[in-house]
Amino acid sequence: MKKFVLAIMIFAVMFGICSVACAASVADVIKQAQGMSNEELYRKAIEESSGKKFVAIGNSSRGKTALASFVKMLQQIEPSYKLEEDWGQPKNNTIFEALNADVNSANPVYAMTLIQDGNQIKSKMLDTGVLLNFVPKEWLEAPGLARENNEFPLALQTLNKVFMFNNVGGAKFDNMWDFVAEDQKPLFMGVNSELVGKNALYMMTSDKYATWIKEAYEKLSPERQAEYAELIEDMQNDADELGIKGENAKYGLTWVYLWCEKYNQETDDGPICTTLVTKSAAGRSGLIVYSKLRSVEETGESSVNNITVAAYQDNYEGIGGYAYKHYLMLTKTSPLPWTACAFIAYMTTTHDGFAAWGKDMGGYAPVPACMQDHSHDGYVDGENKFPVKNDRGYDWWLNKGRLVVEDPTYCASVSGVMSEWIDGIIAHK
Amino acid sequence: MSNNTSRPGSLSKRLNRVKTYLSKPQNAILLALGIMLTITTVFPMITILRDTVLIHPGSKDAVGTALESSFDFGSEKLTSYNWTNLFTGTITTRVGRTRVTRSVADVYLWTPLLNSVLISIFACFGSILYGGIFAYLVTRTNLKCKKYLSSIFIFPYIMPQWTLAVVWQNLFNSNVVTGGSNGLLANMFGITMPQWWCEGIFPVSVVLAIHYAPFAYILIGGIFRNMDANLEEAATILNSPRWKTFLRVTLPLIKPAILSTILLVFSSAMGSYPIPHYLKLNTLSTQYVAMKGDRIGQASILAVIMMLFGFIILIINQRTTSGRKNFTTVTGKSGQTSVVNLRAWKYILSVILILTTLATGILPIVLFAIETFLPNPGDYSFLTNASSLTSKWWLTSENITESGMYGNKGILYNQQIWNAFAGTLFVAICCALVAGTIGTLVGYCVSKNRRSKWAAYVNNMAFLPYLMPSLAVGVAFFVVGSNMGLYDTFLLLILAGTVKYIPFASRSALNSMMQLSGELEEAAIILDIPWWKRMTQIIIPIQKTSIISGYLLPFMTCLRELTLFMLLCGQGRIITTMLDYFDEMGLYAFSSGINLILIVSILIFNYFVNKLTGASLDSGIGGGKK
Repeated sequence: MKKFVLAIMIFAVMFGICSVACAASVADVIKQAQGMSNEELYRKAIEESSGKKFVAIGNSSRGKTALASFVKMLQQIEPSYKLEEDWGQPKNNTIFEALNADVNSANPVYAMTLIQDGNQIKSKMLDTGVLLNFVPKEWLEAPGLARENNEFPLALQTLNKVFMFNNVGGAKFDNMWDFVAEDQKPLFMGVNSELVGKNALYMMTSDKYATWIKEAYEKLSPERQAEYAELIEDMQNDADELGIKGENAKYGLTWVYLWCEKYNQETDDGPICTTLVTKSAAGRSGLIVYSKLRSVEETGESSVNNITVAAYQDNYEGIGGYAYKHYLMLTKTSPLPWTACAFIAYMTTTHDGFAAWGKDMGGYAPVPACMQDHSHDGYVDGENKFPVKNDRGYDWWLNKGRLVVEDPTYCASVSGVMSEWIDGIIAHK
Repeated sequence: MSNNTSRPGSLSKRLNRVKTYLSKPQNAILLALGIMLTITTVFPMITILRDTVLIHPGSKDAVGTALESSFDFGSEKLTSYNWTNLFTGTITTRVGRTRVTRSVADVYLWTPLLNSVLISIFACFGSILYGGIFAYLVTRTNLKCKKYLSSIFIFPYIMPQWTLAVVWQNLFNSNVVTGGSNGLLANMFGITMPQWWCEGIFPVSVVLAIHYAPFAYILIGGIFRNMDANLEEAATILNSPRWKTFLRVTLPLIKPAILSTILLVFSSAMGSYPIPHYLKLNTLSTQYVAMKGDRIGQASILAVIMMLFGFIILIINQRTTSGRKNFTTVTGKSGQTSVVNLRAWKYILSVILILTTLATGILPIVLFAIETFLPNPGDYSFLTNASSLTSKWWLTSENITESGMYGNKGILYNQQIWNAFAGTLFVAICCALVAGTIGTLVGYCVSKNRRSKWAAYVNNMAFLPYLMPSLAVGVAFFVVGSNMGLYDTFLLLILAGTVKYIPFASRSALNSMMQLSGELEEAAIILDIPWWKRMTQIIIPIQKTSIISGYLLPFMTCLRELTLFMLLCGQGRIITTMLDYFDEMGLYAFSSGINLILIVSILIFNYFVNKLTGASLDSGIGGGKK
């Protein structure tokens, strides 16, 4: 019996040491990898993973395409290189449990992840040390790099979701408050099924964005302003109770309240897009991923020309949409850390690596060399047939288009109280 | 001294008794099954209960007051916060522009709970009414086109349940009411249905009732088919009016089947996730998924509440079927059945039923087929311009992101779809084999130990997972699977599927074994024929149809199961999670194509099994013979 207990204790100690050592070794690899060029990383990856299985998990199915492209690229360097690819895409917000369970299991399999929702990433993955950040050397050295807010965690891309409306019948939405006007039912993904949407609502209470909302409010007619004035003043009490500081938080909260009360929940941006582009959706609006407009087949019933992107109107006032990010990180128990680092470097610093996402307008890599130009996507045979598809670019959207950009730290700081405030509104609408 | 001598004596006596008990194969198997089923059923429940007191990083229970109220339990830090906050906590929010303080339960629990109970009740009522009337007309009247109607009636049960919800949306949504594009009815005829018809409790209940009506048909129809008509004829001779005969004679006879339908449909409806999700109703299932972001522990409490309903149903089941727990039909005792002459109504009712079954069974399939040729999802412009139809959803052989393909190849070339289909077949076959075998053994062993409390316990343990809402079972296996590193593996899916579907086989086997006279096996025992030979050469051949039903039902159900599996794997692992992904993405052409593949597959399997063995899907959960 004593021997049995001793054996178990030895096993437990060894398992513990092994776990710590594993985390340390992944961190060490990252440290070394950050000083290497892509070429060196690719060599390390070939050395480490040839003939093995690479398991990764992500919120974007295109990771699978990128992984296949990565393997092909490595095969150009070393023709005998082989890698069994396994790219999983979990559903219903289970990615965090899956990653957490994997790093705590006796036999972790996930090498890396492509993940969204800065709020949950911060509180569930970074603060707990489940995921480790890796910044490629060539990414840091890339000309024109948009480094701010993209380095920690490392962002693959920033995606925008923008306000748009169906213009059939001459509908007008030239102020962001029009989307929450009395008779509106803007189409939007459920805030609890895609939490980046909820994050965007949190962000609107931060000072910068609440001020934009206030400025848009001040451009409304006196009658429209009067409609909301009392509510806005009363909303200061909510701001105080929720602990949201900032002079204009009450404007942000008011808009968020009205949006939550009115939005028409859909399962995904795909059905919202196919709905909005039809003639019969005259006068309807939505807040969806911009790139969905690429998917529309022109017919007598559906056309992207039935859509107006609100922020593209010269006289539009207020926020044009919001941006969230896809982040790339290694698990702290990554069984193939060199390959994971090389794959991340490939996706974030090369045109081919980003190609799986690069075809889409509305998705912006921090390294300009990775991007494709989408400013003329609406041109067919030299003619500007679908102006709404001409993407005005990241800088335009950030500044002129007034995108709300997800800040994981701010989201994490207010989500505890704001989440239930929002849930209370949508539960009883 | 006397104690010292008596102890070894009583020990050896006990050992001998145990030895004698275990020398009978049915007892040894029963013991093993009891232990195994206890582990597979109870362990996940305990795990999920434990999850309600764990502290989850990044969740509500990991901050502020939750941490303050935590306590150490062995090496773990636990908290009662999830329970206390859910039932006694308050939040400040806004309702109708007014600032209000609401209880946490009011926001997260009571409304979903009420909705879940209501849709379960309505689904029971609807399915019994629709399925029961249909069963009566098909089995006890001279209705026309019975064969066609009987086959087509089970189609909604074959289809993944939420596909009917998607069809409902495509038919009835309208810009004016639901605030988007027009559905088929508004588009073609300008008819707009009211909000309550398009979203919420009504459509969810109707779709669930249509989906589960075949259950009622199978269970009630089985009794009608085998019912002795002498009782009804006696009532007729005594000049009792037809309605009175129905209420006083027929209805009491089918009461057990009605009760069975209620028990089975109630828990199935309560655990349904996709239908309320698509038709926008907040139920316990949808609320569970919504709370997984920042209230993980409280989401687990919702799963526990769903499980409690399973226990309550089990107790009701025990009370109402006390003794012989027969869920299905009154079998083969009848010498004659009478057929009611409907006169002219036989044509009128046939037409009505043909139209109804066309709407619930054939129309969705036709719409699925059409959808796979539309240029954009839900874009019916081909009605005015036939050239807009396209075969891209089937025949695109390249990985393109334009034209709405989102990087997917056409269905015929799409390796992901076919891999997921292969994965589903693998899971379904494994679940059917394991659940079918275990269930058959449970049925056999329980029937051999009818008065044993242990046998009753094993029987209940085997049946309990069926009475538990699928989502609750899924959650339990998700928590266990995540802790054991089994997430997104076939093993986890097979484990969950097996535990959930054992009742199909155990009920089927138990009902048939109960009908089997013990003399047959006793004769073989006298001739010293070993147990396995008795099983393979006497028992199984005699009850082959019911036993095969016990394999067939888990297989068919597994093919189209989503709620149970959706938390256990990634979207590409099996075909239903992939189908749901395409539906959520609005890529209805892909989901419709997959639906067609599933329906055709199930019909082909059903046809061949029926031809080979005489068993078929509509021989029922109780395995009653047609």
